[in-house]
Amino acid sequence: MTPRPGRVRVLGIALLLTAVFDVLALLVFLRGTPVFFAAFMFVGQGLFVIAVLLLLGAVLADLRAKQLL
Amino acid sequence: MRGLGIAFIVVDLILLFFAWRSLSRSGVIASTRGWLFVAVGLVPVMVAFLSFAHGLDQSSTVASCGTCHVMTTHTADLMNVKSDTLAATHYKNRYIQDHHCYTCHSDYGFGGTLSAKIAGVGHVWRYTTGRYELPLKIARPYPNVRCLGCHGASQKFLNSEGHPEGVMPLISDGTMSCLECHGPAHPAQQKAALR
Repeated sequence: MTPRPGRVRVLGIALLLTAVFDVLALLVFLRGTPVFFAAFMFVGQGLFVIAVLLLLGAVLADLRAKQLL
Repeated sequence: MRGLGIAFIVVDLILLFFAWRSLSRSGVIASTRGWLFVAVGLVPVMVAFLSFAHGLDQSSTVASCGTCHVMTTHTADLMNVKSDTLAATHYKNRYIQDHHCYTCHSDYGFGGTLSAKIAGVGHVWRYTTGRYELPLKIARPYPNVRCLGCHGASQKFLNSEGHPEGVMPLISDGTMSCLECHGPAHPAQQKAALR
């Protein structure tokens, strides 16, 4: 079964959010200022949680489409 | 930890690229799922853990406190060997080995760390949004328990002529602040806004 383009787009967004999370984490290591750390804690980790939820959502939708759930 | 953290981030960015390439070329197939699981679900967990640990430690350093320019007078005084303020005396004599600002401005135990970090978030917010007034004032009266954590059991403190028996209970219960005699802790700041 060919996945719908919408699901591909959602997974693309998850990849993008994870990349932003990685960049914010990199700033914590390269410029350990409280501002970057706060940005990582409140923005970066939030984006990562959203990315994981999008991935889980796509996986569940995939399993449902294959009638495995 | 810094090198390891950066290595994990670089690896994850490479994995994200491969996941994106697989997704855009082949759609959601088995190999794409594998790339996605590792790049979004697995490696970032290590990145989050290492970044959190590194950031938490770094945010306790004097250099970190000094990154906000409102702290410039405080950190400059700290490193001035000719200064006689309480903070500078502790710094130049190495009474505290590391994390000098944080050691004196956080309470002991896990609760102390937690409340100091929450207060730190407030400081970052006020600094970033410019919601502060100069001269800076300490939010609450400085508690003696932070001084007594190190000095309380020392013979120099217990037998000092400046700490007669009648005064000791007042120091212990916080009625009399250590800073009444041992201050000022930091130099006075100018009233004009620096921003």
